[in-house]
Amino acid sequence: MSMSAIASSSSANIATLQARSVRKSFVSGHIESTVLHDLTLDVRAGELTLISGPSGCGKSTLLAILSGLQPADTGEVHALGHDLSGLSMRALEAFRLQHTGFVFQGFNLFPALTALEQVELPLSYMGLPKHEVRKRAVESLEEVGLGPRMSMLPIELSGGEKQRVAIARALAKQPELLFADEPTSALDAANGQIVIDILHRIARTHGTTVLCVSHDPRLVHHADRVLAMEDGRILSDHVPPAASATATEHS
Amino acid sequence: MVALARKTLIYEWRRFLPAILAVGFASLLQLLQAALVLGIFGSASVYITGSSADLWAGYPGTQSVNLGRPINEDVAMRLRMDPDVIKVEPFRWVDADWRGPRDTGGVSVFVSGIDPRSDGMMFSRALPLDLRARLDEPGAVIVDKADLDSLGVSIGDTAAINGQRVRVVGVSSGLRALGGVNIVASLETARVLDVSPGDAGMMTYFVAKLRPGVKPNVAAKRLNGSNAFGPYTVWTAKNFARESQLYWMFDTGAGAGVLFLAGIVFLVGAVITSQTLIAAVIGSIREYATLNALGVGRGSLRKVVMEQAFWVGALGLVCSVVIGAILLVIARNRSVPMEMRPLTAVACLALSMALAIVSGLASVRSLRRADPASLLR
Repeated sequence: MSMSAIASSSSANIATLQARSVRKSFVSGHIESTVLHDLTLDVRAGELTLISGPSGCGKSTLLAILSGLQPADTGEVHALGHDLSGLSMRALEAFRLQHTGFVFQGFNLFPALTALEQVELPLSYMGLPKHEVRKRAVESLEEVGLGPRMSMLPIELSGGEKQRVAIARALAKQPELLFADEPTSALDAANGQIVIDILHRIARTHGTTVLCVSHDPRLVHHADRVLAMEDGRILSDHVPPAASATATEHS
Repeated sequence: MVALARKTLIYEWRRFLPAILAVGFASLLQLLQAALVLGIFGSASVYITGSSADLWAGYPGTQSVNLGRPINEDVAMRLRMDPDVIKVEPFRWVDADWRGPRDTGGVSVFVSGIDPRSDGMMFSRALPLDLRARLDEPGAVIVDKADLDSLGVSIGDTAAINGQRVRVVGVSSGLRALGGVNIVASLETARVLDVSPGDAGMMTYFVAKLRPGVKPNVAAKRLNGSNAFGPYTVWTAKNFARESQLYWMFDTGAGAGVLFLAGIVFLVGAVITSQTLIAAVIGSIREYATLNALGVGRGSLRKVVMEQAFWVGALGLVCSVVIGAILLVIARNRSVPMEMRPLTAVACLALSMALAIVSGLASVRSLRRADPASLLR
């Protein structure tokens, strides 16, 4: 199989996220609707994995469960070897603080803080020394190309720049797991391109597990692996043509 | 640590302004109310606080200084026998009726008969020495300048107290009374004005000065030990002043009114402040949820909200202290009875800070809506 060939050629091919028979239902009124049907999935490090599908297919719920934001009804979720279903709310918070980064559709930046402070804020809760917080924040902002705009408030930044601040905020934590939910849907084509390129580069250069959820078809060609979802099931799991070409080049 | 709470407060000051104003106004109201109460009821004990005596001896069980009854001259003897007492002075209280030269009807007045010598203890703080000396003249009286209108006199005018002729030889300030008008006269003049036959020659209080360094509490306790010289009670000046003020405060029902109003002010302030803080939390709920997704614990988020509440409280207090101080100065200049003591001010400010903290606690609950899973859609 070509997929396993690519996986073995990558240097970081360990499955860092594992879902086993994960089921999730929501009750509204008297009707119980199942969003995820006994879903089993491995996500590997060093790759940008894209979950695509129409809205309501359960992809965001899957992201919430894999990232420890929501518990599954049944089944098991292992992230970096931790069984998330066994952790308390506080332990999950501690896990997320140490290991995960998030990028959301809305940029969710504090209006009162400069780009640098936005990035420093979560770092300051990680117990890092002050100079380390500053160093990481500056490096991350430079990595997303915002070095010159560090002291600007959200109101002074464009949509694309705001999303890059949000990515820098997640990246500065140096997370093993980076989750992105519709990171490009509020952006125009050019900015969307920049954002997905940055996410892809993070996966490649930092060996981060990047799991991205989107219905944006433009992203498919930038992913290392695409999972197509519909009605709470994974319909296909494939490597997009562009990615397989670059992967072959790398090897 | 990024100062999220403070930076947000400064950046979104318009959002927080209602809360700051609510705390500020609540604090200002508490301060002014306390100052007025202290000022008004403080005049119930002006005889004590305006004098330099350390001890007061009067009729047993007297609840307020204006309710004194005649006591035996022997009590002065008992006080003088105490080794720590260096000076004893009589004070005569006469309830009387005033008839002024102008048409003011009857005015109920309290005549304070004091020793007019320059080293006298009574009203030593309220009367300048030259004014005091003028009381030597028979029939001379001194009144508060704010009372001239209600008495219908000017300086130098004559009037009648209990049918006896008196002359206003001067005015002072800080002599205002509760429930009537204070008239200061010499002991001799007061004796003439006292028309009730049973009191003839009897003093109402004996006040005493202690040797420097002697604790008034200890001396008062010792002097209360025996009744060999007739019935009397000895109070320290501080205790008697407080008792008199409390008597008036609760006798008039003002104490309950003050507490009631303080409760209302607290409640209204807390409602406005908590609603404003809740709105501020909800306004940033997606950002808080993002921080929580990134692993910043709920406890840390609560701390941010509480810090905001603290700064709102602190800014409100600063506003109220500045405005309150200005108003207090204006009131002083216009003879409005207002008085502030450090402890009372601290209590009022603490109450207002408690208001801000309680509001902060109420708004912390709305952080529950900061659910990071709700950011995924």
